[in-house]
Amino acid sequence: MKEPQTYNTEQQLINGLKQREQAAFSYLYDHYSSALNGVIYNIIPDTNIATDILQEVFVKIWRLIDSYDPDRGKLFTWMFNIARNTAIDLARSKEWRNSKLNNSLTEDYAQLPDQSPPSSDLPELRKIVYSLKEEYKTVIELSYFEGYTQKEIATIEQIPLGTVKTRLRAALLQLKKKINL
Amino acid sequence: MDIKAYIESGVIESYVLGMADAEEAAELQRLSLEYPAIAAAIKEREQWLREFSEATGRPAPAGVKDQLLQSLGNEFAVKPGPVHVINRRFKYIAAASLLALFVSTAGNVYLYRKYTKATGDYIALQKEQVQVLAVNQTYQARLTAFDHDLKVMSGPGVIKVPLAGVAGKEGSLATVYWDTHSRDVYLMSNNLPPAPSGKQYQLWALIDGKPVDAGMIADCSSSLCHLKKVTGAQAFAITLEKAGGSATPTLDQMFVIGNVKS
Repeated sequence: MKEPQTYNTEQQLINGLKQREQAAFSYLYDHYSSALNGVIYNIIPDTNIATDILQEVFVKIWRLIDSYDPDRGKLFTWMFNIARNTAIDLARSKEWRNSKLNNSLTEDYAQLPDQSPPSSDLPELRKIVYSLKEEYKTVIELSYFEGYTQKEIATIEQIPLGTVKTRLRAALLQLKKKINL
Repeated sequence: MDIKAYIESGVIESYVLGMADAEEAAELQRLSLEYPAIAAAIKEREQWLREFSEATGRPAPAGVKDQLLQSLGNEFAVKPGPVHVINRRFKYIAAASLLALFVSTAGNVYLYRKYTKATGDYIALQKEQVQVLAVNQTYQARLTAFDHDLKVMSGPGVIKVPLAGVAGKEGSLATVYWDTHSRDVYLMSNNLPPAPSGKQYQLWALIDGKPVDAGMIADCSSSLCHLKKVTGAQAFAITLEKAGGSATPTLDQMFVIGNVKS
């Protein structure tokens, strides 16, 4: 078995990806798939669908790497945003909304342990968000998990845009504090 | 501007998480170029995002990587460098084209050879056919002649007169077929030496002891020659005369003679 190639710096990895090296892609997957899968699963808590999205995300990263600009942020931040946006695209689709609606209906009628996950199985980030106060929870839910812009949230919640900004920033600071790395 | 308050407002967190709007993002990018503290804060938040994501990561199911490697299989470079990707594909296409060209050329050469050979064979066959046809015509002509000769020889009233070699010309031999009804005389020169140039054989009929010219003999070795009509001959003889014939036979040049059997 060949010794897996290592990339000591992020720049080396990016160069490898831009030069279409399979070893670079392999390294990228080995080091980032778990983190990105977690990001996706936070938004789409369904293992099969999340896996499909993860594949789509890696294909996007591979094909869009030339458009990545290191001056505008780290590689992981760029990949994180691809993962989150791809997951949100699905979260906002009719199919996902319908399946979520069905799930919540079943939850209402009967708690079947093998069909609806117990709250301890909730994605980590969701659990922390649920522990925030209601107005923070709402802006983060709409913004982070459903991808609404601050302007759209202002319309939905019927509050001024400035309030949305303040609330969202405060909510994120609260969230960060609770995450406690 | 209160940089510290700005950094701690949460706007950087919303930017890094992709939740800031376009105006906020533009402002933050502009300020990060102006204030190193803000640029450092962004880096710090990015690091935090990565660490948090790794801490809450979920290993993807086994097999996903292999599936990806397989579906992206033809997008990987054999050697580093996007130029090589093009080169490799081009090489395959070029190799395939060359191979196709070679096969096509070989095929053409093969077919051309076959074509040339077939044409040659065809021409040879045509020649052969012409030859066969000519031979056939010759045989047909000879057969017709034989048929005619046979009719003459076996006709009613035809007398066969063998002419044997005289002393000194023992090997010579000719045969006269004389139709006593029509008086036609036919000659077959079975064995006469070729006439020297300027000389010609002449047939004589001996009628009541006198030689009468019965015609000049051309080539009568393969079929009968039709000579002059003769009445009341008792014998026939052949002498070698000057070309065109003589009025009287040169007796010392007689080759054959034979009597008519009555």
